[in-house]
Amino acid sequence: MSKSISLRLTLGLLALGMVGCKEARTPGVVVVNGDPERGRREIARLQCGACHAVPGVRAARGSVGPPLEGFARRVYLAGKWPNQPRYLEPWLRDPPAMAPLTAMPALVSDEQSARDIAAYLYTLE
Amino acid sequence: MLLVGAGALVATGAIVGTTLLLSGALSTNATKQHFRVTHRVLDLGLEYSVRAAADDVPAPALGLPGMRARGAACYREHCVTCHGAPGVAPDSFALGMLPVPGNLAHSAAAHPPEWLYHVTRKGVRMTGMPAWEYRLSDQSLWSVVAFLEMLPVLDVDSYRALMATTVDASCESRVTLPLHTEGADVLLRQYACHSCHQIESVVGPRVYTGPPLIDWSKRAYIAGVLPNTEENLARWIMDPPAISPQTLMPDLGVPPEHARAMAVFLLTPR
Repeated sequence: MSKSISLRLTLGLLALGMVGCKEARTPGVVVVNGDPERGRREIARLQCGACHAVPGVRAARGSVGPPLEGFARRVYLAGKWPNQPRYLEPWLRDPPAMAPLTAMPALVSDEQSARDIAAYLYTLE
Repeated sequence: MLLVGAGALVATGAIVGTTLLLSGALSTNATKQHFRVTHRVLDLGLEYSVRAAADDVPAPALGLPGMRARGAACYREHCVTCHGAPGVAPDSFALGMLPVPGNLAHSAAAHPPEWLYHVTRKGVRMTGMPAWEYRLSDQSLWSVVAFLEMLPVLDVDSYRALMATTVDASCESRVTLPLHTEGADVLLRQYACHSCHQIESVVGPRVYTGPPLIDWSKRAYIAGVLPNTEENLARWIMDPPAISPQTLMPDLGVPPEHARAMAVFLLTPR
């Protein structure tokens, strides 16, 4: 047995203890100058939960829009754009400006809130 | 005592198996060969699985020229890419598949028509061979078998001649899926909805390309633009870009009756 295989087996044994803890690749989106905790409070204040189920935000169990569970893993935003801050932040500010037919209203009034909310959403794995 | 021993054995097996799995020592690379014994065991599994299932459907007469011509058309359109033909190599990508797509002159020489029909119709798990019953009419499936029956006796010239004389023949695709015998979840799988969406009662990857469709019946909007009614959902499934031009969800060529069946299925709470 080669050294690297036995090393892997050892690591495997260690991994046994943490089955289901973490996947190998966690999406690493960092929102510059975004404060996730403030974002979480903004989500509660703006009642995003009336339409979206948002983990970590109390009473956010709406089912009008898609659930935001696993948001950081979502490949696309609103089914149209890559799920990246440069699309997400303007989307949060003014969804109809980007998708005229969308049912999602513009509720986030300033850039900093959008940035904070984005920062929180990208913590949802 | 015996029970304790058996229990310990099972537990040890589970630990060894899980360790192997999590260590990454079991390679999923298509560059690695199977062990010879693994290959033999899988071959035997295929042989007996198909043998047990294939007896139900007796072959129709396969010698009719029209049938062979249709089979040639289907073969040209759908099979030669992976399986090659006398004097014709498979496409480059197919040469690197693991397991390698079977040479069908050999298959046809080694197996009865019912066997060939069953494998073509039902596909083979984890090999890349799809179940063609969802893509081709039953007539076409038997036509493919009729064509395969000829393969072992064709040389390069006679294969070329046969293909040249059948250029006008066309392969008949299936227009409706056998919905009456199977549920609409088969449709969701055959349109590969679960390659982008997580769906209850469809086993698939934990994927987040499109939104998860869990508890879909409770959702108010489709794609954020359409109220979530059965009719709207069916419309959306048939042609997403027609409703939301920038959507990344493609038009999958779903006919109305399939779209309707999937919409009903998704909207049924479970």
